[in-house]
Amino acid sequence: MSIRSIDNSEKSKQTKTPAINTLYFYLTEGCNLACRHCWLAPKRDTTEHSSPTLPVDLFELAISEAKPLGLSSIKLTGGEPLLHPEFSRLIEIARREQLSLMIETNGLLCSPEIAAEIAKSANRFVSVSIDGADAATHEWVRGVPGSFDSARQAVINLVAAGIRPQIIFTVLRANFRQIDEMIPFAESLGATSLKFNIVQPTARGEKLHETGETLDIAELIRLGRHVELSLAPKTKLRLFFDQPHAFRTLSRISNGDGNNACGIFGIMGVLSSGQYALCGIGAQIPELVFGAIGKTTLKEIWKNHPILNAIREGLPDRLDGICGRCLMKQRCLGSCIAQNYYSTSSLWAPYWFCRQAEEAGLFPASRRI
Amino acid sequence: MNYLAKPIANPVVVLREEFDDWAVLFNPDTADAVGINPVGVTVWKQMDGTRSIEDIVSVVQSNFEDVPEAVHEEIVAFVQMLEKNGFVGLALKSNI
Ligand code: SF4
Ligand code: SF4
Repeated sequence: MSIRSIDNSEKSKQTKTPAINTLYFYLTEGCNLACRHCWLAPKRDTTEHSSPTLPVDLFELAISEAKPLGLSSIKLTGGEPLLHPEFSRLIEIARREQLSLMIETNGLLCSPEIAAEIAKSANRFVSVSIDGADAATHEWVRGVPGSFDSARQAVINLVAAGIRPQIIFTVLRANFRQIDEMIPFAESLGATSLKFNIVQPTARGEKLHETGETLDIAELIRLGRHVELSLAPKTKLRLFFDQPHAFRTLSRISNGDGNNACGIFGIMGVLSSGQYALCGIGAQIPELVFGAIGKTTLKEIWKNHPILNAIREGLPDRLDGICGRCLMKQRCLGSCIAQNYYSTSSLWAPYWFCRQAEEAGLFPASRRI
Repeated sequence: MNYLAKPIANPVVVLREEFDDWAVLFNPDTADAVGINPVGVTVWKQMDGTRSIEDIVSVVQSNFEDVPEAVHEEIVAFVQMLEKNGFVGLALKSNI
């Protein structure tokens, strides 16, 4: 056994204006599913109704404005990004601009042709949401019959095209007993990793928290340990449980197997309405919308917007509550400042998970300042 | 740092052991912290100013399996990192 250590004393000081690493494109407000836990609560797209989508010229303009600021990757999400009527054109643009591509999809529209188109990008990462190891569970969560087979088929199509996707499973009271089963299921489909997401108390997720359809904090902490300590060592899949840093084992953090910290210092959201916003939460919170593409330049927003500058100057040192007293704050940055703001209207509010853990006496003493 | 150097743990620093045998070294004066694995915990516990790096290497070799050949260099690097952070001092015995 070798010696291993994690030096936490290196502070993550931000230069005045960091690079924009990634644009998060919320390509449409619409979705073809009706998931119980969705943090955006998009409108349901049907044959009669389809939601507005981001025009291709604004997509291109945002990229051309972001490239001189350092852009190297884009994430296509939504709503359901594959509902965008010119989806193939968008990935062609990303390819032409030599951008790394991340796509979050529910898989319904991920045909062999689309999968092959995505696979043409040299650097791509796709995640497909599957919330159960069987159709009944997944479809109870996702609200649409037949969506389980479509999601499974999407993974198969992606693997056939040479992309081994990540499967994302959102943990609810109705499906958490299937966590162990998800591992052979994901392995058999050829996924490369399996990520267990926790429902954020935003939009529809907020209702689920209120009605007890999510797990309580003690259950979540137990489950996180189960995934990290019992399940992860037994599979070749990379497993992630999306819990804050204070709850991740040091061994996983030092292996680089922990989830990455929020990249807020290098992210700009682009909403389907053609507006720039903080990651994507601007769709829920008007004051986190920074301006319209083509009306205000991205350079102006990125350099001068008071909220972005406040975040650069204040994070993590100004975090309140347990986040302010947490040893992991340099790495974790309060987990999700957008979620924290949504819940409290303060950028510096502590993250709900750790606040609840502290209130329940479950926050690890070894991770406190 | 030579192998005869005798590191001594800063008495202010607290060793906080976790459930999986890793631990956090925490300096309450500076709020700096270092996460260490079980080998690091063993090394830390030996650093009382009476044991040389050579002695500590022997303790590690007798307590752990699969100790790599470069264990000397690893432990020196570890102690140097702790020294840089003010977690460790060196009780250097003069031979003169
Ligand atoms: S207390 Fe805050 S900074 Fe610490 S792990 Fe939790 S969310 Fe992250
Ligand atoms: S603040 Fe939250 S939503 Fe925004 S990038 Fe970070 S983790 Fe994602």
